[in-house]
Amino acid sequence: MKLDDAAFRLKEFWDEFRKERNGLVGLGILAAAILAVFLEPLIIPYPEASSRWRDITYWQDNSKSAPPAWTNLFTARKSAVARTLQDARIQDRGPGEKVYTYTYDYDYNRAPYDLLVRGEGSGNIPLTVTVRRPDGVSVEIVRYVLQDLAGQTFRLSFSNEGRSNALEFLRKTERPENAAQIATMSYGVAEILFSKAEPDFVKGPKPLTGRYEIEVTAGFTDPRASIEHMEIVVVGRVSGILGTDSMKRDIFSGVVAGMKWALMIGLLTSIVSVLVGVFYGITAAYFGGRVDSVMMLIFDYFISLPVLPILIVFSAVYKPSIWTIIAALILFFWVGPVKTVRSMALQIKEETYIEAAKALGAGHGRIIFRHMAPLLIPYSFASMALAVPGAIVYESSVSLLGLGDATIVSWGQILHDALGSGAVLSGLWWWVVPPGLLIAVMGMTFAFLGFAMDKILHPKLKTR
Amino acid sequence: MSNGIDGDVILRVDDLKKYFTPHQGFLQSFGKVRKVVRAVDGVSFEIRRGEIFGLIGESGSGKTTTGKLVMKLIDPTSGRILFNGRDVTSIGQAETKEYRRQVQMIFQDPYASMNPRFKIRDVLEEPLEIHRISGNRAERDTRVVRALTEVKLTPPEDFMGRFPHMLSGGQRQRVATARTLILNPAMLVADEPVSMIDLSTRAEILHMMKDVQRDLGLTYLYITHDLSTARYFTDRIAVMYLGRIVEMGRADDIIDHPAHPYTRALIEAVPEPVTGKVDEVKELPISGEIPSPSNIPPGCRFHTRCPFAKEECRAEAEPELMDLGGGHYHACRRWKEIG
Amino acid sequence: MSETILQVKNLKLYYHTSKGSVKALDDVSFDLAAGETLGLVGESGCGKTTMGTGLLRMPTPPGRFEGGQILVEGRDIIPLPEREIRKDVRWEKVSMVFQGAMNCLTPVYTIGKQMMETLQEHRGMEKAEAQELIKEYLGYVGLPADVTARYPHELSGGMKQRVVIATALFLKPRVVILDEPTTALDVIVQAQIINLLKKLKKTFDLSFIFITHDLALEAEVSDRICVMYAGKIAELGSNEQIYGEKGPAHPYTERLLAATPRLRRKVESLSFIPGTPPDLITPPMGCRFHPRCPKAYDRCRVEEPPVREIEPGHMAACWRCFE
Repeated sequence: MKLDDAAFRLKEFWDEFRKERNGLVGLGILAAAILAVFLEPLIIPYPEASSRWRDITYWQDNSKSAPPAWTNLFTARKSAVARTLQDARIQDRGPGEKVYTYTYDYDYNRAPYDLLVRGEGSGNIPLTVTVRRPDGVSVEIVRYVLQDLAGQTFRLSFSNEGRSNALEFLRKTERPENAAQIATMSYGVAEILFSKAEPDFVKGPKPLTGRYEIEVTAGFTDPRASIEHMEIVVVGRVSGILGTDSMKRDIFSGVVAGMKWALMIGLLTSIVSVLVGVFYGITAAYFGGRVDSVMMLIFDYFISLPVLPILIVFSAVYKPSIWTIIAALILFFWVGPVKTVRSMALQIKEETYIEAAKALGAGHGRIIFRHMAPLLIPYSFASMALAVPGAIVYESSVSLLGLGDATIVSWGQILHDALGSGAVLSGLWWWVVPPGLLIAVMGMTFAFLGFAMDKILHPKLKTR
Repeated sequence: MSNGIDGDVILRVDDLKKYFTPHQGFLQSFGKVRKVVRAVDGVSFEIRRGEIFGLIGESGSGKTTTGKLVMKLIDPTSGRILFNGRDVTSIGQAETKEYRRQVQMIFQDPYASMNPRFKIRDVLEEPLEIHRISGNRAERDTRVVRALTEVKLTPPEDFMGRFPHMLSGGQRQRVATARTLILNPAMLVADEPVSMIDLSTRAEILHMMKDVQRDLGLTYLYITHDLSTARYFTDRIAVMYLGRIVEMGRADDIIDHPAHPYTRALIEAVPEPVTGKVDEVKELPISGEIPSPSNIPPGCRFHTRCPFAKEECRAEAEPELMDLGGGHYHACRRWKEIG
Repeated sequence: MSETILQVKNLKLYYHTSKGSVKALDDVSFDLAAGETLGLVGESGCGKTTMGTGLLRMPTPPGRFEGGQILVEGRDIIPLPEREIRKDVRWEKVSMVFQGAMNCLTPVYTIGKQMMETLQEHRGMEKAEAQELIKEYLGYVGLPADVTARYPHELSGGMKQRVVIATALFLKPRVVILDEPTTALDVIVQAQIINLLKKLKKTFDLSFIFITHDLALEAEVSDRICVMYAGKIAELGSNEQIYGEKGPAHPYTERLLAATPRLRRKVESLSFIPGTPPDLITPPMGCRFHPRCPKAYDRCRVEEPPVREIEPGHMAACWRCFE
C-alpha cells in the first residue's frame, strides 16, 4: 500500500474512532501509562527503585509498612509524614567547627518512628546533634565520632544513639514515682522529643507542635575531614503516595517502575504471540489439506505442554533475564488464538467475497492479508487484551519462586511479595490494591480498545 | 437480438468433467470404494463473441459448478476450456491472472460477494490494485467514477464512500457489475445475478446488464434456474440435468418447441400470471425429484423420471447431443416417437 | 360466500427500534372465508411475513400490536392470555408453514421424533397412537411411512417441505398460513407442492393464507389476492379482477405484473418500477407509492388514499382508481 493511502486510511479510522467513548477512555489510560513510563525518573521519589528494588540497604531508612500519607486526611490523629530535611543553615563556629541547622515543622499527633542523620563523610569527625524544641528547651540527643571514613555514607539513628540522652531529658520533668517506668516504657526517642515535657508522660504523651530546629555540630580538626550531602531523615508513620511495604520499599516507586515492565511483558508477549497465532491459524485454514494437518500437529504439541512447570524448570536452570522470560512466554502464548482463528478463517474462507476476490485475480497474500486478516482484528485485540494480564501473572508466578529477573521490579512481584508477607491479613491494603488494580486496569484498557476497533472494523454492528 | 449466431467463438468447453470425492476420515478410507459426486459429467458448448448464453438447470444440475470451472475457481477432473482458441485448463499462475482480467464473474448474492468492510470505492479499486492498473489516487478515482456511471449509479461520488450494507440489493448488484467492468473484460459469468433482487427492480438490473453488454460488446455466460428471465435475457440456452446438457439451442426455439421431455416438464411447471387456474391441478409430465449426483442412473440419466422411458433408455449408452437443425440440439433418443 | 373464519380489522403492528417505530403493518383489514385461499403478495419489507406471524399472535420482537383486531371465528385473539392462545388458537385453529422451515429441522433427530414432539406437546398422546397419526399424515402429503426413521439431511428439499406441511396440519387447524412455501424449491418440485396443497385444502376443508413475492405463482393458487405495499393494502380483489383481461386497478399491481417475466410470451422489453420501497419509519406523505408511481398527481402527494371498494369485492387504495 502506498503512503498516501495509508495516511488516508488512518485518518478515516481516527475519524471513526473519535466517536467511541470507551475507546477514547482506553486510549487515554494507555497514553497515561506510556507517559508515566517516560516520565518515571521525574515522578518517583526513589529514582533507583527499578534497579535496586531488592537492595535492602537502598530502603533501610524508610518506615516499615507505613500507610500512604494521604490517610491523614481521614483520621483525627495525624501521623508524622516521612520526609527528608535537606536544606541546612550552615554556620562556622570557632576553628574547625560547623553547625548545620535544620528546621522541622511538626504538626502531628503521632510522632515519627525515628530520625536519622545521614551523609557522606571522610576522616574522623566528632558529631553532636541537638534538638531545639518549640518550648525553648534544647536536648542534646546524639554525641558520636565518625572514624576513619573515606567517603562512605554514615547513618546515625536517634533511637540507637540517643536513647539514654532522651530518657535523661524525660527524667527531668517526670514525677519521681513514675521514674521506674521510664526505663521500661515503649515510647521511643522520637516520641519523647516531639511530646510535651511534663509529668505523667509515661501514662500518655501529648504532642508538642511547632517549629523544631535540629542542630548538627561537626568538628573538622582532622585535615581529611569533610561532610557531603548531610540530611535529616524523618522516618514517618505514614509515607509517600502509596505507603511502604514490610521491607520498607516505597510502593509508589515500585508500581511506577513496574509500569514499563508490565507494558513490556504484556504487550510484547501478547502482540508477538497473537500475531504469530493469528497468521498461523489463517494460514492453516486457508491452505487446508496437508498443510493444515501438519500445522495442527505442531499446534497440538505446543498446546499440550504445561506452561508453568516448564517455565519454572527453565528459569531454575538458566536464571533468565526478562527478555528470555518474554521469549519463553511467547513460545507458549502463541497457541492461544490459533484454534479460534482457524475455525473463524475456515468460515471466512467460504464467503462469496473471497471467491469473488479470487475471480478478480487476487493472490494468496492479498486474500489472507486484505480480506481475511482484517476480519480477525477485533478478535486479535480481544485475545491481546486477555493475554496481557496472563503474561503479567505468569511472569510474576516465576518471580514468586525467586526465579524471575532479579534486576527489575514488576507488579506481579510486588503482589506476590505482598501475599507472601501476609499483607492482606495484616491489613496492608496499600500494598495489594495498587498493583492488583493496575493489572486489572491494563486488561480493561486493552479490552476497551478492542471493543472500539471491533465496532469500527465491523460496520454491520453500527446499524444495530 | 444481437449478433448471436454468427460471431466467432470466444469460449469453447470440451467434454468438461468435475468429480468431487467427499472428505473421508482416515479409517473410512480403508472401507468401501469412495462415493464420487459427478457434479459435471461431460459438458460441451461454445459461446460466440457478443452472445448471451444461458445455462439453465435445477439445483444439483451442475450449472454453478460449470460456471466455477469456466472461472477457473476450481480445476476440472478432465476436459478442456478454450478461450479465444487457447487452452486455459492448465495454465500457470500469471496466465490465470491475465485470464481472469478478461473473464469476470458476477455472483448471486451481491451482498456476500463484497467484503463488508470495504467501502464501494475499495470494492471497485480492488481489481485495479490486483492487476496493477493506474497508479495514483486521482486516476483510479476517474476509473471508479466511470464504472459507476456505466452501471447508472449516479452521482457516483455519493456511492463511493458508502458500505455495501447501506445500498439496496439492486444497487449492490450494480456495484458488483461495475467491479467486473472496471477491468474491461471480454466475457462475464453471471451466476443467478437477479434471483435475490426484488421483482420490481429485477428487470431494471437485467436492462442495465443488457445495455452494458451492447455498449461494450461483452459476452455473457448467464447461469440461472429461471426460464422466464432466461427467455427474456439470453440468445441461446443450454438446459442441464444431473451434470449434462440435455438440450441446447436458441432460447425461443427451446421454449416454444422443446424436444427433450425434461425441458418440457420444466416449461410446464413454470407458473403464469393469468387467471382461471386456481381450481385446476397442474398436469406434470414427470414425477419425483432430481437424483443425487453421487448416484447417477445408468443409461439415459433422466430415465428414472421420464414418462416416455423404454427399456432401451435404461440399457443402452447415454445418448449424445443430436442436431435438430438450426442449432437446436437435444439428447433424447425417442424424441421422434414422443413428438 | 360461506362463513368468515378469520377477520383482520385495522391491524397495526409496529417494530420499535432505536431509530424509531417501523410501521410494518399500518391499518390493514381483510377477511378470509372458510375454504378460501387468500394470497398476500408484495416486495420484501412490505409486511407480508409480519402479517403471517401476527395472525398467530406471535409478532417477532421488537414488534408490538398497536391497534386493531384479529378475529378468529369471531373472537378477538389480541387481548387473549398466552395460555389461552396456545390451548385454543395457535396450531389448533391457525397454523403456519414458516419461510425456510424445511431448513430448520433439527439435524440430530429423526423426522419421526420431531413430528412426535408437536403431537405430544399439544395432545399428550400415547406414543403408539401418535405414530399411527404420523404415518397417516405422511400418507396425506405423499411420503412413505419409513420417512420417520430418517434424518433431515437424507431427505430432499421437497420431501422436507412435505414433512413441514404435514406437521402444520396435525392439529386439524382451519387456517394454514403458508409463508413462501416454495421459494427455495425448484420449479418442478414447486409445482408438485402446489398440487399437493390444492389437494390437502379439499381433503381437510382448509383455508389458506398464501404469502409470496411471486405474482405468477399467486395466480395459480389464490382465490383472492391482497397486494401489499409498504405496510398497507394497495389492492385486494378476486383472481379474475387482478389477473383478468381488464388488468388490475392499482398502478403498483399493474407495474408489478408487468415486471413479472412470462415464459410463454416473448417480450422485447420487461418493465420495472424505478426506485426502492420507502423507509417505514418515516413513510412519505400522501400515498406511500407516489414517489414511484407514474400516474401520481398532486392529491397523491399530500393525502393518503383510503382502501375503498371500486367494484363489488374489489378494493383499492388509489386516488386514480376512485375517479
